[in-house]
Amino acid sequence: MNTQQPSPKKSLKDSLFERIESDHVCPRSNLSFLCQECLVWIVWLFSIAIGSLTIAVSIFVITQRQYALYEATHDNFLTFIVGALPYIWILAFGIMVYVAIRNFRCTKHGYKYSVHAVILSSVALSLMGGVALQHYGLGYSVDSSLGNRVGGYLSQEKLEKKAWQAPEEGRLLGKQVLDSVSPQKAFIFEDAEGKQWRMNVTELMKQELDLLATEKTVRLLGKAEYGGKEIFHVCGVFPWMVEKDMTLGELREQRKQFVDRVYDHLEKEKERNRLMEEQGISSNSRTEKGICADITAVRRMPVMKAHQ
Amino acid sequence: MQQPAQLPPSDEELVKHTLQDKSVFGELVERYEAKLTRYIIRLGVRDIDDQLDVLQDIFLKTYRNLNAFDTSLKFSSWIYRIAHNEAISWYRKKNVRPEGHLIGDSEEMLSFLSAKTESADVSFDKTINAEVVNEALLEIDSKYREAIILRFFEHKEYEEISDILKIPTGSVGTLLHRGKKQLAAGLNQDAIRI
Repeated sequence: MNTQQPSPKKSLKDSLFERIESDHVCPRSNLSFLCQECLVWIVWLFSIAIGSLTIAVSIFVITQRQYALYEATHDNFLTFIVGALPYIWILAFGIMVYVAIRNFRCTKHGYKYSVHAVILSSVALSLMGGVALQHYGLGYSVDSSLGNRVGGYLSQEKLEKKAWQAPEEGRLLGKQVLDSVSPQKAFIFEDAEGKQWRMNVTELMKQELDLLATEKTVRLLGKAEYGGKEIFHVCGVFPWMVEKDMTLGELREQRKQFVDRVYDHLEKEKERNRLMEEQGISSNSRTEKGICADITAVRRMPVMKAHQ
Repeated sequence: MQQPAQLPPSDEELVKHTLQDKSVFGELVERYEAKLTRYIIRLGVRDIDDQLDVLQDIFLKTYRNLNAFDTSLKFSSWIYRIAHNEAISWYRKKNVRPEGHLIGDSEEMLSFLSAKTESADVSFDKTINAEVVNEALLEIDSKYREAIILRFFEHKEYEEISDILKIPTGSVGTLLHRGKKQLAAGLNQDAIRI
């Protein structure tokens, strides 16, 4: 507010020029306005770029997080989605879109566009950028480097480790360390916490045994039995694949492998029941079901109903 | 032979010349002093001293930011935008809301309201006086009031209102439509026959 009250006798023009002279008022340079406009656009671009990055990480997290084997870790698809949604990244995306919109509206002609058009275009640009970045594997890189550098950040790898190192729920993460201990053949598995398990591999297929024999980190699906010694009855062996950004083809393959494995256990159980019926063994006197046909992951599969 | 009359320089030309010779700015001040005084009064700056302060701030800001003038806009839209912003900051500084006579004559307003069927099918009592319209105007949301003032009292086109208020042109129509509805509702209670 003007502190020098203009004299009533003076015209506005005169008092204005007096003030221009006394306060040495000059028009601001063209360059400063140009810089200001550039800065607004840079912030807009930056927010779109960060928004794209959040989308890339979100796509990575949603597609990679346990989807292929979700029945092994979650009750159903809904609980899986609720658990898998990357809330922090979604929030970060929302903030970035908000910043982008605010900045766009601050550009010279930004106000001419409707809010909906600006929101839609900012979201669309971030989504397109996110898909492109994820295509080049940036989602995985950002997630894993944050996981390594920021203590509190639960990267995909950390989450997968947490989900699969759960023996009480029939999941183990680790690698086979010995496949023969005298005097009788045994398979020893060391989990992610360094605990050793004797594996019961009677229900495994040859390719699963081969995968175990590579001594690479794998995920085991089965049932833990605590009878003096820790024994893990293995029903499936799946490669540990979070150390890289998986392609959709690989994810599909992993999903197929898991579903086939579940089917296989169900088919075997069905066959077993058929043979028993043929031999005249009544359902009451039948022995217990096969362990693998009764594990939680198998029971959760919707295909189970068709086989019962 | 008679020489063709020379047209006065446009506002935009004066802006260009002011950047070389600041005394030219005086002409812009003279051109807009009355218009902007009327406008800020309509926005609610009632006190004469306050008006002078606000006007001086408007012209100083205009002068300082001459290089930011976007030639794709009309100069009048740009200076009205500055005036609008200054009036808003004045309210904020003073912590007041607009009061008093926003308009001098409600006849024009009434003709607008009754001519347009988009807001409501109403006919207005011709005995409505400026006082009633003023009171009703003060009661409506400020965003609607600002649009109505620019459209019906400053006679600005939608495009210009869009540039002054920094909103999309489509939103200008919406603001006017809703503003008129609110205004009609406010007037309806006392002075309108439906």
